[in-house]
Amino acid sequence: MAAASGSDCGRRRPESNDAGSKWLDAHYDPVANIHTFSSCLALADLHGDGEFKLVVGDFGPGGQQPRLKVLKGPTVLTESPLPALPAAAATFLMEQHEPRTPALALASGPCVYVYKNLRPYFKFSLPPLPPNPLEQDVWNQAKEDRIDPLTLKEMLEDIREKAEVPLSVQSLKFLQLELSEMEAFVNQHKSKPIKRQTVITTMTTVKKNLADEDAISCLVLGTESKELLVLDPEAFTVLSKMSLPSVPVFLEVSGQFDVEFRLAAACRNGTVYILRRDSKHPKYCIELSAQPVGLVRVHKILVVGTTQDSLQGFTHKGKKLWTVPMPAAILTMSLLEQRSRGLHAVMVGLANGEVRIYHDKALLNVIRAPDAVTSLCFGRYGREDNTLIMTTRGGSLIIKILKRTAVFAEWGGEAGPPPAQSTKLNMPRKTRLYVDQTLREREAGTAMHRAFQTDLYLLRLRAARAYVQALESSLNPVSASAREPLKLHAVVQGLGPTFKLTLHLQNTSTARPIVGLLVCFLYNEGLYALPCAFFKVPLLVPGLNYPLETFVESLSDKGSSDVIKVLVLREGQSAPLLSAHINMPASEGLAAA
Amino acid sequence: MGLLDRLSGLLGLKKKEVHVLCLGLDNSGKTTIINKLKPTNAQSQDIVPTIGFSIEKFKSSSLSFTVFDMSGQGRYRNLWEHYYKEGQAIIFVIDSSDRLRMVVAKEELDTLLNHPDIKHRRIPILFFANKMDLRDAVTSVKVSQLLCLENIKDKPWHICASDAIRGEGLQEGVDWLQDQIQAVKT
Ligand SMILES: Nc1nc2c(ncn2[C@@H]2O[C@H](COP(=O)(O)OP(=O)(O)O)[C@@H](O)[C@H]2O)c(=O)[nH]1
Ligand SMILES: [Mg+2]
Repeated sequence: MAAASGSDCGRRRPESNDAGSKWLDAHYDPVANIHTFSSCLALADLHGDGEFKLVVGDFGPGGQQPRLKVLKGPTVLTESPLPALPAAAATFLMEQHEPRTPALALASGPCVYVYKNLRPYFKFSLPPLPPNPLEQDVWNQAKEDRIDPLTLKEMLEDIREKAEVPLSVQSLKFLQLELSEMEAFVNQHKSKPIKRQTVITTMTTVKKNLADEDAISCLVLGTESKELLVLDPEAFTVLSKMSLPSVPVFLEVSGQFDVEFRLAAACRNGTVYILRRDSKHPKYCIELSAQPVGLVRVHKILVVGTTQDSLQGFTHKGKKLWTVPMPAAILTMSLLEQRSRGLHAVMVGLANGEVRIYHDKALLNVIRAPDAVTSLCFGRYGREDNTLIMTTRGGSLIIKILKRTAVFAEWGGEAGPPPAQSTKLNMPRKTRLYVDQTLREREAGTAMHRAFQTDLYLLRLRAARAYVQALESSLNPVSASAREPLKLHAVVQGLGPTFKLTLHLQNTSTARPIVGLLVCFLYNEGLYALPCAFFKVPLLVPGLNYPLETFVESLSDKGSSDVIKVLVLREGQSAPLLSAHINMPASEGLAAA
Repeated sequence: MGLLDRLSGLLGLKKKEVHVLCLGLDNSGKTTIINKLKPTNAQSQDIVPTIGFSIEKFKSSSLSFTVFDMSGQGRYRNLWEHYYKEGQAIIFVIDSSDRLRMVVAKEELDTLLNHPDIKHRRIPILFFANKMDLRDAVTSVKVSQLLCLENIKDKPWHICASDAIRGEGLQEGVDWLQDQIQAVKT
């Protein structure tokens, strides 16, 4: 299959060697035909030759042909069919003897198949459960030919609906049959005792009595009958049995079985239960707001992925620490342990094809896969530490190797405080004045505040008075009276001694024209001369701007200037509607002449 | 007998010693190759320092070999890079049957070629596509393709398929290296 390494041929310079990626593409096989989840992947030196193999509990396409596959490098070494779908794969040391090659355990249906040196070694079956006496009774009747298959079917269906104890596999199979097949099935099975067996839903390992890397471990099983079993690594007897309020689907254990351990079980009821060695029942419980889709323990923190597209961190006592939203649905989760740098992070496979790597809340890295990744596994593979194995929904196999020089930057992702937060501000030094002022503020804070408020109120009062006065004397260029809403502004043009004064008058009412207005100029007659200081304004149509022009002759030969007042009046009223003061410019024309 | 006898004999005429670096990923076969090359009278010392990486050194009359595994995650990298300066020829060993780690070998080679102590020097590089006897081994042509050797323009290089256990292919490589060193020396 195509090794991806050929793709970046021709670019030897490391600076251009897709500098952004921390991963080397070791292998990509789009038609590897591996369909599985993270719980069914395991890495171990199964032959004790220093070459780590990959164990895959493969569901087969469409969950049809379940198989156990062992891969060496990019190729499948061995392949064998499984009787039922795999639930989990684990590798563990069973015994102290040399050579210390790890055994492989594969949970499938009600059994755990244990292999040593890849040869079948032991098959552990879950202990049978007590059958439903009603069901047994019905089958007994069938055995004595007291009821026909159809009656049997009816009675079993009745039991299935009412009883608390679920039916046996035999009865369930019988209920699925067509009428024609029933007779034969009853004759074949009626004399067999009813057996009820549960199945394994999840499996993990816990160290027996030593914390060492290569210490022997016990298998821990979770079952459909809401139980947890711990098995002896040599005799495969049940060492401990714990019951849960719901069906466990993900397990995480820390500690040692004989000493003290802490077991977290994420269950189908959306709760994570935490058990200790001495507790037969959950000690703490974490109620999630959605179903768990993954559980990973990073040191003392439990990281749970939920169907609400979020990653949540909890203490081992169930206290919630943080939540990180994901951009897409979580499909799978796994632990990334980079031993050489002491990094423990969580890998999350998302429905959008991304694999995100988080250290607590911080996003460290994003890998984009060609398809949604359904299983993830990180560790030593072949002879290389830090190898990442991914399989996708379409059945492809992707193997990436973390560059030996790669360092995951803690705050490299989008999480964390913005960089501006860490830049130092240029704060002024604390001067004597500043210190004195601060002391005074501290001592006389109330008085200072009062004084300020008094001044502020006085200022406001004065402003309000001036405004009222202006309104009363119509000293403003905007008339707000209801009958004559007017706007006035004036423009002076020219250098002098003759100026052109243009008044712009506008009726601001929406519909009503204004008639009968007068304009009057008040000015110092010693300084200025106007051809007409008093005239009638034509009818003002609403909205239009009326420019009214007049010439102003400056009489002063010293260039002095004055204010000309413009009053807009209504016929028959002495108080002006509005007024404007025009500051006339000094006459430059005269000085120049 | 040692394959290097002729090589060291020739060079022995000149007083100066030639330092050869033998590099490659762990398990590629460096130790096996060097043991085959070793002249019978060579003094070998195996240094296994506590810091976590191992260097083998041996000397014949005029050649000194420094062999080390390019393994590990960078903590010791600068330790082995320290030896680059004195190297006058490089033997780079590749396990042709380790398809998965071919990218890692390429990455290490690229890093080596870009190291300031190597980059601007015309030192000859001999590649051994080792373990050619194994079933999953790829050809030396494929190895040179996977490592993009055609991009090495400023250094003389040569690749040989080898089986270090039976000593096959080693002579061809050593002959080439000898020509190169002589060309530089004269
Ligand atoms: N089949 C085969 N095995 C080899 C060859 N060269 C080395 N080996 C084996 O590969 C393993 C690693 O060799 P070693 O020289 O220690 O590699 P080093 O880590 O590079 O020094 C040993 O088991 C050798 O016997 C070869 O050409 N063919
Ligand atoms: Mg060696």
